[in-house]
Amino acid sequence: MAVTQTKPADRTSAPPKRTLADLAHGPEAIRLLVDAVLDYAIFLIGPDGNVLTWNQGAERIKGYKAHEVIGKHISMFYTAEDVEAGRPERVLRQAERQGRAYDEGWRLRKDGTRFWADASVHALYDHGRLYGFAKITRDMTDARAAAERERQLDVEREARLAAEEALRARDRFLSIASHELKTPVASLQLSVDSLLLNRERGNLDQGRIERGLERIERAVRRMSALLVELLDVSRLERGATEFHFTEVDLSGIAAEVIDRFAGVEPKDRILFDLKPTLVQADAARIEQVISNLLDNALKYSSRPGPVHVAITPTEQGALIEVRDRGVGLSLDRKDRLFEPFSRGDNAVSVPGMGLGLFISREIVAGHGGRISAESGGDGKGTTFRVTLPRTQSDRAHAPG
Amino acid sequence: MPPVSRVLVVDDDEGLRETLGEVLADDGYEVRVAWNGRDALEKLEGWDADLVILDVMMPVMDAFGFQSSLEERSRPVPPLILLSAAPGLSTAASQLGAVGVVSKPFHLKDLLHEVDRVLQPSNGTAPTGA
Repeated sequence: MAVTQTKPADRTSAPPKRTLADLAHGPEAIRLLVDAVLDYAIFLIGPDGNVLTWNQGAERIKGYKAHEVIGKHISMFYTAEDVEAGRPERVLRQAERQGRAYDEGWRLRKDGTRFWADASVHALYDHGRLYGFAKITRDMTDARAAAERERQLDVEREARLAAEEALRARDRFLSIASHELKTPVASLQLSVDSLLLNRERGNLDQGRIERGLERIERAVRRMSALLVELLDVSRLERGATEFHFTEVDLSGIAAEVIDRFAGVEPKDRILFDLKPTLVQADAARIEQVISNLLDNALKYSSRPGPVHVAITPTEQGALIEVRDRGVGLSLDRKDRLFEPFSRGDNAVSVPGMGLGLFISREIVAGHGGRISAESGGDGKGTTFRVTLPRTQSDRAHAPG
Repeated sequence: MPPVSRVLVVDDDEGLRETLGEVLADDGYEVRVAWNGRDALEKLEGWDADLVILDVMMPVMDAFGFQSSLEERSRPVPPLILLSAAPGLSTAASQLGAVGVVSKPFHLKDLLHEVDRVLQPSNGTAPTGA
C-alpha cells in the first residue's frame, strides 16, 4: 500500500536498496532461493546420512524445526518398516553409485502422521570425493489421494457400465425368449381352446381331434426345443457343461445329421464330401454344432440353393465346413455373429432366438477348437469353418 | 340376409392360423389364411376382406410392410386386429391404426369376442349362431 502511494520524489530521499539482481550473483542467492521455496523440502545430507541444512519447505512438510533435525540421521523421517529394511541407507548408496536416486513412499511427520513423499537424492562430488547429498522432497499425499479417488471412480464407473450392459443383455434375453416362447404357447392354447369349443358345440369329430392333437404336439415340441436351447446357453455361459470325449468319426456324425435334414429338404439340396476323420470329441455336442450350422445354412438361403457340407482330416485334427449361397454377411455382422441373440439383420424373418451360433462356438471352444465365418458380403453366401484338434492332449499345443 | 363377412388371418405360425381359420369358418365367416404380409396381399387380390387378423412380426413382410403396401395400392385398408407376442403391441396398434389388439397367448373366446365387436357392432353376435 505504502509503495503505491509513494510519490516519485519521496523515492530519491529513501536509502538505496539492494535489488534481487544485485543478490543473484552473491553468496546468499542460493540460500534465499532455497529458503523461499515452501512446496519442496530441500536440504543437504552429509555422507554419513546426517541432515546438514533445512529450508522452510522442509519445516512445513515434515513439521520439524531446523534445530530438531540438523545433525540427526535421515532415518527419522522413514517408517519403522523402511528403516528395518535398510531403505534410507540404500537410497543414499544408490545415489552415490549412480549420481542420483528416486525415492517414493510413505514418510513420517514430526507428529507421527504419514505423508506420501516423492523425493530425489543427488550425490554431491568434489574432485571425485563424496561431499554429501542434496535431497528434494515433495508432499504428494493430496495428489496421490486424488489420483486414487479418480482411479476408484474409474473402476466404479466401469463396473457400473458393465452391470448396466449385463442388465440390458438380460432384458434383451428375456424379451426375445418370452416372445419366442409365447408363440408356441399361443398355438397350444388356441388348439386346446378350439377342441373345447367344438366339444361344447357338439361338433368334435375325429378329423378335428386329430388335427388338434397334431398341432398341440408340434407346439409342445417347439417349446421343448426352445427350453433346451435356453438351458444350453445358461449352462455354457456358466461353463457348467461337461464334455464326454471319445474317439469319433466326424464323417459318420455329419452323415447322420444330413440324413435327418435330407428328409425334409428337396433332393440334392444338401451336397456333401465326408472323408473319414477321427478325433476325440463329444459326439452329441459335435452333432449339435453340425446340426446348427446346417440348419442355419438352410434357413439363410432359399430353396433350391444348394448347401455344401465337408469333413476333412487335417494335420492338426479336423476341418468341418458348411457353405451356403444365401444372404451372406455384412462385415459389421461378422463380429457379433457368435454373440447370444445376434441375428442376421438381413434375416428378420427367420424364426428362432439366434442362439445356435453362440452355442456352437462354446461347444467348439470346449473342444479346444475354433469356429469362423466367411462371406463375400451381402447376398454372396456364407462359409462356416470349424477346426478341431485330433486329441484333447493336442489342444494345449495347438496354436489358438 | 346380409352378405357373409370376410376375414383374413395372417400369421406365420401354421398351427395357429389353420386352427383360427377353422374356428372362424365354423362361425360362418368366409375365411382366407396367409403366412406373411406378402402372401396376405396376394390373398386380397379380388377379395376384399372385412377384417384382417394380423400378426406383427412375420417373415418376408411384416405387419408394417403389409399396411403400407395396401395403402400404396390405394386400396381401402380393412379394419385390423393385431395378434402378437411382440412387446409394445399398443404402440404398433396406434401406428397401424388397428381397431383391436390381442396379445399372445390368448383365450379363443376373447379373440372371437373382439372379432364380433368389429364385425357386428350393433348386436355383438356372430353371423350364424354360436
